[in-house]
Amino acid sequence: MSNFKRAPVIGGARGNVPASLKETQMIDTKAALPAEIISTILDYLPIPDLMSFARTCKRMQEMVYEDSRWVQRLKIIGVWNDGEARKRVEEAMKAKREMMRVRVEEEGKRAGIGVNGHAPGSMRKISTTLFDAGLEQERQRKNLENGKSPIEGFDTMKLSSPVTERPLPTSRAPMLDPETLLNVFTDVRSIRGSARKEYGRIYAALAPFYFDLARSRSHNDPVLFRVYRDPEQQAQMLAHLMVFCKSDWAQGWRQREEKLVTMVGIFETAVLREFEQGYEAWDIDGRMRRYANVLGILNGGHAGIELFVQKHPIFSDREVMGNSIDCLRQASSDAIDLHPSGCFLESLSKKLNEQANIIDRVFPAGEDVFQIFLEKVGEDILMEYVTPLFDEAHERSIPSYLKAVSGIFEQSMQFGFTLIPSINSGNDFPEKVKAIIARVFEQHVDLYLSEELDYFKTIAEKEVSSWESKLSADDATTESFFMGSFNRQADKKDFLTSFKKVVMMPVNVVGNLPLSSPFATNKPIAAPAATGIATLQTPTGPSGLSPSVASPSTPVLDGSRSVTPLPPEAPTDELAAKAALMASRLEGIRSLFSIEIALHLTHAAKASIGRAALFVRLGGQTGEEAREQCLAVFVSLLQIVGNRHVKAGFDKAVDHLAHYNPREVNEHKQSVAPLVTFLELVNVGDLISQMIDVFYEQQLAATRLTDRNDFLDPAVKAKKIYEQMLDERVAAGLNKGIDVLMDEVEYICATITKPTDYNPPLNANGSVADIDIGPTAATLQVVSIVEAHTKMLNGSTDKTMLDVFNQEVGLRLFAAVCKHLKHQHISTDGAIKLISDMNIYYQYIRTLRNQDLLQYFKALRELSQIYLIEAKHAKDMATIIADGDRFYGIFRAEEVYEFAERRADWYTVKRDVERSMYGLGCGIM
Amino acid sequence: MTETTSNFITLVSNDSESIIVEKEVAERSMLIKNMMEDLGDAVLSVPVPIPNVNAQVLKKVIEWCTHHRADPATAADDDSDSRKKTTDIDEWDQKFMQVDQEMLFEIILASNYLDIKPLLDVGCKTVANMIKGKSPEEIRKTFNITNDFTPEEEEQIRRENEWAEDR
Repeated sequence: MSNFKRAPVIGGARGNVPASLKETQMIDTKAALPAEIISTILDYLPIPDLMSFARTCKRMQEMVYEDSRWVQRLKIIGVWNDGEARKRVEEAMKAKREMMRVRVEEEGKRAGIGVNGHAPGSMRKISTTLFDAGLEQERQRKNLENGKSPIEGFDTMKLSSPVTERPLPTSRAPMLDPETLLNVFTDVRSIRGSARKEYGRIYAALAPFYFDLARSRSHNDPVLFRVYRDPEQQAQMLAHLMVFCKSDWAQGWRQREEKLVTMVGIFETAVLREFEQGYEAWDIDGRMRRYANVLGILNGGHAGIELFVQKHPIFSDREVMGNSIDCLRQASSDAIDLHPSGCFLESLSKKLNEQANIIDRVFPAGEDVFQIFLEKVGEDILMEYVTPLFDEAHERSIPSYLKAVSGIFEQSMQFGFTLIPSINSGNDFPEKVKAIIARVFEQHVDLYLSEELDYFKTIAEKEVSSWESKLSADDATTESFFMGSFNRQADKKDFLTSFKKVVMMPVNVVGNLPLSSPFATNKPIAAPAATGIATLQTPTGPSGLSPSVASPSTPVLDGSRSVTPLPPEAPTDELAAKAALMASRLEGIRSLFSIEIALHLTHAAKASIGRAALFVRLGGQTGEEAREQCLAVFVSLLQIVGNRHVKAGFDKAVDHLAHYNPREVNEHKQSVAPLVTFLELVNVGDLISQMIDVFYEQQLAATRLTDRNDFLDPAVKAKKIYEQMLDERVAAGLNKGIDVLMDEVEYICATITKPTDYNPPLNANGSVADIDIGPTAATLQVVSIVEAHTKMLNGSTDKTMLDVFNQEVGLRLFAAVCKHLKHQHISTDGAIKLISDMNIYYQYIRTLRNQDLLQYFKALRELSQIYLIEAKHAKDMATIIADGDRFYGIFRAEEVYEFAERRADWYTVKRDVERSMYGLGCGIM
Repeated sequence: MTETTSNFITLVSNDSESIIVEKEVAERSMLIKNMMEDLGDAVLSVPVPIPNVNAQVLKKVIEWCTHHRADPATAADDDSDSRKKTTDIDEWDQKFMQVDQEMLFEIILASNYLDIKPLLDVGCKTVANMIKGKSPEEIRKTFNITNDFTPEEEEQIRRENEWAEDR
């Protein structure tokens, strides 16, 4: 016979076996088993044998009693709480340390040693790692020595836990109190060092039932079913046993577990049958409720919930199902009738809310049955309803498909809001419902979004192309119209009048425009139109309008001005307001690109984005995709409107400008035709740009589809590019336009000015025949033509660009006038005419409100006075010529001298002037 | 004997007996397997001493290894879960373990030393089965354990664990 013997090497895992325990003396024969092997062997032992083994000798007892062995079992059952255990130990430690400190102090006092001194016999207990075992071992030994109950000994351990010490579980006779046994798990405590006792309590409560059940042959046998008559209690006990069974791993556990599972299965089936019968009888508050509860206790009640959901009558209720194709049948081919689907969802919602109530009555708290139920509804009813409808619509026509998807999605979301959460539904009920709806639509969203974008692109392309082809069909006539048809006066509309018309029109026209349909009444129409006008006019101010233009429109303008402050609440949708305004302008403006087209496209984009934006609410990946798609729609809108439409129009207009030659045109009017066209375009382009800006703000930024400040955002980027493109085109066109304008000015000056204008012929008596002191015709025409063109730009483009334009026009005009002047002979009598001409220029320039520019024309005005000087005052003339300050430094003396040369009597005064000039000059030097 | 076949390894017991074993069989022992991995083929040409095991036991262990040579390697054990995997001892193993107690312990020790986990498990289960159903006194007798409790102490432990008694 061999002996168990302490092995020379103690395994690391079991190293915390207190070494101080007295070793068991065994006779050393040949073989001996080390502690870790004995420990492994113990793992295979059933509990009763384990206890017998503990009684063989002290060392074995210590091994069996080892806490970790029992903690492990408690952990598997799921009642051990590490945190709680640690807290208890720490509390105990604290108490102990306190005690020690007091003792050490006392000893120190007595022995005259400091607190840090070595207090004999106290050091051993400070070690934390050995604390548990040390304490336990100490206590046990003491208990054994004193013959006291270890549990009583244990009770001396100080715990601040509110749990009051219960009577010793070991002393309770098994099966004495079946009611208490049902709650065996509830008051298990996690205390290091007493895991065995806690487990013992559980074991005492459950093991009899467990082994009895494992031994039983039929489902009538187990004592469990005799002790507990209530199905609720039986379920509770079975649930406990299922948990307890996990801590049984002695040999044969597999068969025992199997038996238990079978028994639970039989029990569950029986309960389920009861539940089903109750279900069929629709006995909601009676049997259904009761057995749902039993199932819930047994294993969470999934089987019952499953049964409830699967067999629910709603899924076979024909009345609920409805036929989704109705939505298509009752509508025209491109449209969809959402009324049937609305009815369907409404009735479904009503039914579901009824069910929510029933579910609350049937099922115990815990499981969110309604949620599961809704998931099934979503899958079986909603999906069934929606999918064929979408497929059918997709086959029929894309527009109706797009409308169907977005429309029904919106309705479904509404439907989701009408659902009332059941008691067990968490706070996230709305989110969960949303998730269910999202799942229903998930498979359609991708297709839908790409269709939406494609559809928009196709529409936009088609619209632009058709417009372009129309334009090129008219090209021949348009061309001649631009180049030489000034005689066709009826066709040609002066821009100023057209502009005036535009300004006035909204009020009259908008009412009958189909595009104004968003407005229900007349009042909001007027107000937004006025807003538009106001925006157009504000930069100019009332003085910006020349009297002739302003007079007819003034009342309107005044009216609109007074309206301006209140629009904030009047227009429901600023975009629509713009649309109304623009639509009204169409009447008067002929353009190379059409505002109407832009308007249509914007409307289409709005519709598309509006539909797609609904899906953004889904959040997650789908929502993100929807958002991106919205931006893509916007970007493609910009590309089509910008590149294909506006840019092409501008290019064409600039082209026309470049080819304009005033000398080829037979008849000259108040304006330069291509420039007018171009400036109109600038206006229209600006309107479109504003429109897009408003569109962006309202449809994208306001709905948080895009972040205005995110410069990487595709929509923002595209918008920037578009605006940049527009600015470039405008700048390029204006550049050309100025050239053209000046050509025209020079042409007018050259052709209309008569040589006698500034040099009236003298009568025989030496006086001027008819003194007309008014300005010359040429000057009037030049001023009016320039004024007309500069005014057209007011408020239509960037303020700074306008300033630059005006400045350039002014300077060029100045140069042109100077050049013109140098070609004239001016007599003293003609000087009066010249001065009034210069005054006209000056007046005009003043309206541009550009101080620098004004200086030039002031100088010009001063300059014109040198012609007024009588020949006999040649010396004074010389003074004036040399006086640089007089001309604000704009003309140097040489230049003024040059101008003086244009005097009709120059050769008579030349000598005097030169002499006094240079003489004066010498004198100065 | 000959070193021509590289598929064999020579083990030498503590009583100096050489035993030639197939490599695959010897690899059931994690100790030997790891050693071969560390040292490479050099091991195959040199006799490997197994100092803690005598020839009789070694042969017995090799017998088990030969029978179980094709078993799938057991995964690294996770303490609580692997316990659930413990199954009953299969028939061959039961027969294999029908040896006297001294031999049984020797096998357990050898499998522990050679690191053959499945064999160790079978051994432990066999010992557990020997303990099962016995009274403390019977257990002491079987395993030759000296009782160092006083009768009162023993009675105390019994009362303490009354809950576990079979009913």
